[in-house]
Amino acid sequence: MRRSTDSPRAPGTMLLEIAPLLFNEAFISAVVRPTIADLQSEFAAAGPRRVKRLRARWRGYLAFWTLILVAPFASWTDDAPRAAGGRAAVVPVIVALFMIVTLGAWTAAVAAAAALVAVLIHAWYERHPCELAAPSDAVWRSPQINFSSTEVAGNIGGLIFVVGSVMIVSLGVPAIFWFLCAGTVAACFLAWGLVAWHARAEDWTCAARRPRQWL
Amino acid sequence: MLAKKERLILELLVSRGAMYGLQFVERSEGALKRGTVYVTLGRMESKRLIESEQAAPEPGAIGLPRRIYRPTPLGERTLRAWTTFMRDVAWEVKP
Repeated sequence: MRRSTDSPRAPGTMLLEIAPLLFNEAFISAVVRPTIADLQSEFAAAGPRRVKRLRARWRGYLAFWTLILVAPFASWTDDAPRAAGGRAAVVPVIVALFMIVTLGAWTAAVAAAAALVAVLIHAWYERHPCELAAPSDAVWRSPQINFSSTEVAGNIGGLIFVVGSVMIVSLGVPAIFWFLCAGTVAACFLAWGLVAWHARAEDWTCAARRPRQWL
Repeated sequence: MLAKKERLILELLVSRGAMYGLQFVERSEGALKRGTVYVTLGRMESKRLIESEQAAPEPGAIGLPRRIYRPTPLGERTLRAWTTFMRDVAWEVKP
């Protein structure tokens, strides 16, 4: 590779410097160095033609950033904990980038808000664990709020869940904001009616249930 | 079990001799991508299907030397066995 006249360093030198922060030595030796060697060779082969050199640079850098995305899934590397951590970090980044590109920044912001609400609910239950009421008979009927497999009790944690869900959906689809408000009010009445009905029903027994904890 | 890309790389190496990463990309006609070809090559090297060495640096060159890949005897036998197996399977499922 001939030295470039207008560049003091070979392209990819900086990528080689940051590679140890991202990859283990086995991966750098087997994958990163050959990728950068290709970039430098292609850049040198382009000669003085600016367009070809720019193209070589672009393709080389694109290959490097692709490596960052695929590296955590390269299972043959010997650094399992680091790879697992990398996967955990890369997947949300890929999802976020995919959402921003395909659905727009606004949707990505709503998704981030949803993640924040999930963290809030989790943190709440970590600090205030509660026992869900379970009837002693075989029939499973419980006044708790169920959202798929997520169990949310009827307390402040449940309120965070409901308010957060309504806010997220209304942010994502502003046209149905008033529908959601009306639905929330109707749901409150329905919940009140269900609680009253369960309280009077003969088959509803919660012998081991503690007094309701709101906080 | 030989993955599709691994078989393609072995076929290229056996039929055309030793080559470096970008040559795989160019000669595979789009089947191998430059961002991931070295990941596949690294995996194959860890399976001992191929081996590699650094090419000798050209006079006056700067930057990193390229890595040249060639098949191992195990890789060649694996490719032959896999090709035979696939041919037999294709023969048996033929109506």
